Amino acid sequence: MNHATRAAKFIGDADRTTWHDETLWFVRTKRDKAVYAVPEFQDLRELASQIKNHTLSKLDFYLEQFEEQAKRNGVHVHWAADADEHNAIILDIIRQHNATRIVKSKSMLTEECHLNPHLIANGIEVVDTDLGERIIQLRDEAPSHLVLPAIHLKKEDVGETFFQHLGTAKGEVDPQVLTEAARQHLRARFLAAEVAISGVNFAVAETGGIVICTNEGNADLGVNLAHVHIAAMGIEKLIPRLSDLSVFTRLLARSATGQPVTTYTSHYTKPAADKEMHIVIVDNGRTKQLGRPDFRASLKCIRCGACMNTCPVYRRSGGHSYDATVPGPIGSILSPNIDMKKHSSLPFASTLCGSCSDVCPVKIDIHTQLYKWRQVLAEANEIPASKKWSMKLMGRFLTSPRALGIGGKLARHGIKFLPYSLTHARHFNVWAVARELPEPPKQSFHEWYKQQQVK
Amino acid sequence: MFTLHKWRKPNIKLTSPPFHHFTISLSPLSSSREKILAAARANKPEETLLPTVPSFEGDASAERFTEVLTSIGGQVIWLEGPEQLQQVLTQLFPDSRISASPLFPGTLPVDALTTTEVLADVDLAVLPGEIGVAENGAIWLPEANMMHRALPTITQHLVLVLDHKRIVATMHQAYAQLPSTGGYGAFVAGPSKTADIEQSLVIGAHGARSLIVLLY
Ligand code: SF4
Repeated sequence: MNHATRAAKFIGDADRTTWHDETLWFVRTKRDKAVYAVPEFQDLRELASQIKNHTLSKLDFYLEQFEEQAKRNGVHVHWAADADEHNAIILDIIRQHNATRIVKSKSMLTEECHLNPHLIANGIEVVDTDLGERIIQLRDEAPSHLVLPAIHLKKEDVGETFFQHLGTAKGEVDPQVLTEAARQHLRARFLAAEVAISGVNFAVAETGGIVICTNEGNADLGVNLAHVHIAAMGIEKLIPRLSDLSVFTRLLARSATGQPVTTYTSHYTKPAADKEMHIVIVDNGRTKQLGRPDFRASLKCIRCGACMNTCPVYRRSGGHSYDATVPGPIGSILSPNIDMKKHSSLPFASTLCGSCSDVCPVKIDIHTQLYKWRQVLAEANEIPASKKWSMKLMGRFLTSPRALGIGGKLARHGIKFLPYSLTHARHFNVWAVARELPEPPKQSFHEWYKQQQVK
Repeated sequence: MFTLHKWRKPNIKLTSPPFHHFTISLSPLSSSREKILAAARANKPEETLLPTVPSFEGDASAERFTEVLTSIGGQVIWLEGPEQLQQVLTQLFPDSRISASPLFPGTLPVDALTTTEVLADVDLAVLPGEIGVAENGAIWLPEANMMHRALPTITQHLVLVLDHKRIVATMHQAYAQLPSTGGYGAFVAGPSKTADIEQSLVIGAHGARSLIVLLY
């Protein structure tokens, strides 16, 4: 199945599609309001972009600096080349402590590495504590958005899930009541947890500390109660200086949800007295992406989700249609790096309108990279035959003025007589499935221009 | 005579073949650490400059701070002086049973070694904040002011006491004032909240259900 097929399933429910589209657009408008209220916002984007570019250009140096500082702070530092090693390291730490009660706050990296299934296969239960993540965990689904993991669900869906798993009343759909039920349910898990796993938003090389941003406070509650904290971070999370955080904390929440800052911006530098802190530094394809000049800028991403909220394709096709850990425009650049065959349709899930690049707080040239991926995929023969041949023919047609002239004339006169069954034949012309042909104009621009010359 | 020019391809070119990144030959014994560092070294782009971040100034007034904090679900109340603290708290939380605070006597004694069971019953924590940030309503709360790291999130209600002269305009000035982030510390901006169910805002997710800032 490709993106288009999965998207077709999503838009089968027109009301839900409209709701999804409007809700995300609403988040985008909140972002705009917050952004316009900061006069130096564009300067901050440029600074963030430069800081990230610089960090990537000295990544080995900052990784070593970070490790050295973290160790000095009494933190255990681990290195994982890929997902398997990341999972093995975490399982090992859990086993060393004979722990069975694990809480986890939001982390796209552990999602990327499929940590939960790995731990479950080894007899260890993990409880996701971010409300959205807990909802989809109970439903056995994947997140459909970077910061709004359950945005594909309606409150009726959540109500039904909580009725089944948390014992709320049948038909209860009030978000306030449902959230309170989740608070009570998860509080018991927090109090009992032996190990807390978290992601990392920023890792500061000069201090060896990590920063986690949440609204719910679930990372702080979990980490500060459990005996062991394991933080998993991709190598691209680094920033050089503590003061660089001022730039990123001003950009992140405003770009993500339009809030001035997340409720908790928590700095973990040293473990608490007689507790343990581990940091797992993960590559999993990132150094490979660093070696691709056209695509390395994707490593600057701070996972704010703004490119998703603004994307006309994402908003109308839903996060699950991408079938990738990170969906949306940025996911469509990151995913083919990991598995080109599986994700070959993603770079085409875009209109190349450029709205993603316009809102990106670290100025990633997302739409340009999507275009470049298309070229790479074509060269590697990873695009569907129908697309390849139609594009080839189209290319030939458009580069020949003669063919274009004759073709245009034929189309202008012929379009009226073409049988609907032919123009809308499902298998030949996917484009026409939800569209009608335009009224043909009487003359071409070329003909009109000639007429003007004569006058 | 007007002639159509040959259609030109869009001018976006691949700057280099995408899959010619360096391959690194390493002995099978080398650890993942060495592998990752070597790959980063080999594949990183040419060094670019680290910019200096200007100190973007702005409105550092208590009014601005109050306006922003209120908009994100917090509340600001002025104290006439620190001695007024207990009286205001009794008015605000008449039903509070178990409170913890380093600021006045007679509360639950909490320190870094207090057990989870004891912490779980705290319904009110009153802690000194260090720096207020007007642009986003955040308050810097270092570990030293928390009694226990989990206290600010496990308590049902949180009150932060802040000197209004410690309000700065933006995050740049806030970070500039931090000597270090210590072992642990957090900027706290409002009560714990979520919008994970249909984007409806609900105050009181897992952390404190309310946040009141007492300014003096
Ligand atoms: S690519 Fe940019 S806009 Fe998209 S999630 Fe990453 S930082 Fe945000």
